[in-house]
Amino acid sequence: MTELQAERATKTLTTPRDDAASKGWRYLDVLIALAAFAVLASLPFLSSSKALLDFVIRCSAYGLFATSLNLLVGYTGLTSFGHGMFFGLGAYSFGLIMQRTGASIPLAFVATLAITAIVATVIGAICVRLKEIYFAFVTLAFQMLIYSTILSWPSFTGGDQGLRGGIPRPVFIGIDLSNHVQLYLFSCALLVLGLLAMRQIVQSPFGYTLRMIRDNAKRAAFIGIHVWRAKLAIFVMAALFAAIGGMVMALFVSGAYPEFAYWTISGEGIFINMLGGVTTFLGPMVGTVLLLILNDTVTRFTDYHGIVLGIVILFFALGLRKGLMDFVVDWAKQRREKGGSA
Amino acid sequence: MDLDALAGCLASSACLVTQTTSGLIIGMLLFLVAVGLTLIFGVLKVVNFTHGAFYMFGAYFAMTSYQATGSFVLAIVCGAAGTAILGLIFERVFMSRVYGANVLMQLLVCYAFVLIFDDVVRLVWGPEFKSMGMPAAFQVMPLFIAGGVVPPYYLLLIGVALAAAIVLGVGLARTRLGKVIRAAADNPGMVSALGINTGALYGAVFALGCMLAGLAGALAAPVRSLTPGMGFSVLIESFIVTVIGGMGSISGALIGALLLGLIRSFGSQGFPLFTDGLMYLFMVIVLVARPTGLFGKEVA
Amino acid sequence: MTRTRTPGISRRSSLMIMGGGALALSAPWVARAEAKTVKIGMPTILSGRVAQLGTSSRNAVMLEVDKINAAGGLAGRQIEMVIRDSKGQPQEAARVARDLVNTDGCELLIDAEASSGAFAVHEVARDLGVLCIHTNSETSSLTADPKQHIPNAFRTARQGVHDSIVGGSYAATIAKAKGLKKWATCSPDYAYGRDTTAEYSFYLKRFSPDVEIISESWPKLFQPDYTEVVTKILQAKPQALYTCLWGGDLTSYIDQANIYAMFGQMEVFAVNMADYTALTVVKNLPKGIHSGNRYIKTFPATPDNAAWGDAYKAKYNEYPTNWSWENATAMMLLAEASKKANSADGKKIAEALRGLTIKCPFGADGTVTMRAEDQTLIGYAIGWGTTIPQEPYVPNVQAGDWKTILALEAEWKKDKGYA
Repeated sequence: MTELQAERATKTLTTPRDDAASKGWRYLDVLIALAAFAVLASLPFLSSSKALLDFVIRCSAYGLFATSLNLLVGYTGLTSFGHGMFFGLGAYSFGLIMQRTGASIPLAFVATLAITAIVATVIGAICVRLKEIYFAFVTLAFQMLIYSTILSWPSFTGGDQGLRGGIPRPVFIGIDLSNHVQLYLFSCALLVLGLLAMRQIVQSPFGYTLRMIRDNAKRAAFIGIHVWRAKLAIFVMAALFAAIGGMVMALFVSGAYPEFAYWTISGEGIFINMLGGVTTFLGPMVGTVLLLILNDTVTRFTDYHGIVLGIVILFFALGLRKGLMDFVVDWAKQRREKGGSA
Repeated sequence: MDLDALAGCLASSACLVTQTTSGLIIGMLLFLVAVGLTLIFGVLKVVNFTHGAFYMFGAYFAMTSYQATGSFVLAIVCGAAGTAILGLIFERVFMSRVYGANVLMQLLVCYAFVLIFDDVVRLVWGPEFKSMGMPAAFQVMPLFIAGGVVPPYYLLLIGVALAAAIVLGVGLARTRLGKVIRAAADNPGMVSALGINTGALYGAVFALGCMLAGLAGALAAPVRSLTPGMGFSVLIESFIVTVIGGMGSISGALIGALLLGLIRSFGSQGFPLFTDGLMYLFMVIVLVARPTGLFGKEVA
Repeated sequence: MTRTRTPGISRRSSLMIMGGGALALSAPWVARAEAKTVKIGMPTILSGRVAQLGTSSRNAVMLEVDKINAAGGLAGRQIEMVIRDSKGQPQEAARVARDLVNTDGCELLIDAEASSGAFAVHEVARDLGVLCIHTNSETSSLTADPKQHIPNAFRTARQGVHDSIVGGSYAATIAKAKGLKKWATCSPDYAYGRDTTAEYSFYLKRFSPDVEIISESWPKLFQPDYTEVVTKILQAKPQALYTCLWGGDLTSYIDQANIYAMFGQMEVFAVNMADYTALTVVKNLPKGIHSGNRYIKTFPATPDNAAWGDAYKAKYNEYPTNWSWENATAMMLLAEASKKANSADGKKIAEALRGLTIKCPFGADGTVTMRAEDQTLIGYAIGWGTTIPQEPYVPNVQAGDWKTILALEAEWKKDKGYA
């Protein structure tokens, strides 16, 4: 058992609530989502910077990916080293469908999700039987297998050069994604809706089931929960959101490259979660913003970004020993307790 | 896919022998590189993701020493000793802090150091690829053994790899020190209570694992091009070998490495464009059938 | 009332953080445009295995920029280079290229990316309409394929198909002279490796129809251990071997093939051997390897070329690479085009570039031309020769003939459906 799990297991089993109060929280979630979207939507009018919009689009791609990874790591205790395969799968499926068939964007979107769901179900069924580090290894192995396949199939996937020639963006219901601002608004909408959906998952009874499994799978099984089925379900759900992140990235770079399915994407997902913290819902979003800012500013100033990034990671891993949001939350809790006991 | 070529090779005894020989050579080289990783995991229960970086240091130390002194033996010693010292410092100052932590924290610390080490090597030696060159003693014709072609240099490497396997295998199983190490792996509290300095023990084992990585790098240097970041592909391969063989098992790593070598060797005949993929496919199959690897034990 | 929800950050705080974050983020992204200098953005690879690509490209560009600025700059405006590392990742290359234009106010792009990075930057150029000169991507389809055509993208890198035509015809001459009928190939398994090898084999067989490729090996790029490849080749007993391995892979391969005594058993044609990076690094270089020229200061054997190579070496204490001359050519073309258009505006320069011929130390006849039809470079020096382990490394280079190259290239385009 890992330290994280040991900590959790000492807490009492939390039970889900499905009464008026928690319905109230759900409406509040929607309000927050609307407010967040309003803030993001106003940015193009407050600032003329295209780079800012680019930044938010990338945050949206990585943020969806990292938050979906946290569904596995933070909420279910499933450490996946290969989650990036779904990011890549989403990008490639979407790209291929748009390039090769004349499909409209909503149709390609839905089709990509369907393909991802099928692949995730098959891979998940094999992987979730395994425990802990072996689950991590086998997900990594599957990711490298998919990456190898993408590279070895140039006639279909373009091989190491990826999908070239750009991804067509036909207008759908009046939305034209070749317009930068509209692409930005579309990505923000996907981000907000995606986060809202994932929030509903973790706050639902199913979400509490996952926490139970994370804290003590044996106990959960004794209570009658089908652990394997729950794990598979969240594995597939997380894959879907990762695929949406991949689609946003594909639209942003107007292509899909094998790097999207390489283990470094999974690694970045893990860093983001560690940077931002796995115990809060928005931790991964904070981590995404942090990592992207770090990445963008460091490469501006030095060629030796490895040393800088390494030191920052050490600061979080050895110094703070927890993600930023975890740190903030714990610090706030300590303040409250100190204030209360005064 | 070129199944005809594969079938033809399996049918021809000359091809069969040569490909098997080269498969064994590849496998032994893989084992030499991977054994340090599996040792550290077996004893310290930590996956040393900096393994590739120490391989890289071993190669660079050896090359610099060889260029300065012209002595191959000294180069190997420098490579091994340098990485042992570096490994000891790294373990005592940094790794020991994250032994009990989440595997993701350990991964992060190691990855941070891989980034730092790669840039340090770039700063000190420069980003261009370098070559050590084969020492004159080994610039000889290859030997013909049992119908297969074997360069004498690879015989040296295989010899060292086998020696490492035997020393570690026998050492851990039969000697007193080996027993203490295995006991510390199983029950560190008890061993410490018996008055044995587990900290020093862990440091020594970690340093030994890094030394093996550095030794492998130093020995590989004459036949590889040296570049910052060369440790990465080695890490992936070592990882696959140890996972297939069973983390912590020396014999598992040996068998796993040999199997991978044979798959590469025959795979390049039958599946020239998917040889890598075959390796990952094999890894998936083994993990699904036996998650702890071929010879692995269930981790507590 | 007891709270049974897991502790998390409160709603109010979430909102404040998001709002504050958004404001904080707006700060650095203010586009700065200065009228006096013209900023040229250059995404490239400055870290990782292929860092030398970026560093040698940057060196060459700065060498030329100093000369251009000393002569008055581009239409009176001094050049300011903004060079950024994409770490070899195409999504980073796309982001860096966009940032250079949107945030840093770059008006022109020198794209020193390789392979997939170049295609990613190409899409950015298509989207933003900024002038973009690809300097390192040798993939023919980048300019040959009509689907990739955009009026503002040019290429000054050599093309795989040109190299293969010259290489194939040179090898065919030797094959006929020495009776080399059985050939093996060994090339890295990625687009450059596959395409170049396929084209070379095609032209080799065209000029020498007796040739038969009896064995193909496709190691992975940056693969450290070539044992199975070397033994497979030795098994097949070819009379000649073609390889387009390059850089560290080539030197690794030579070291490993040496201990198998491979070089004594066949003629070796390694298109990327005659590059100073490989020639000066490999310790036991076998004699008599046939190679194409990447950058050699003695070919073309003109004082201009030698002077350029020496100046580079004097300033950077290392020899220029193939990437160096390609980038230098891009800057030379830019300078001439802006003189002709009397402007540093991207569109006007693009107009002037099409069909432009300039004097160039790397030209086969002292000049190179930016072909208007597909906006790629022609007329640069290509040749093959045998290597020796010391300076001048390739004493006799047989130059390729551009009339033949262009005729065959046109045929190739028709076959591929590009024309």
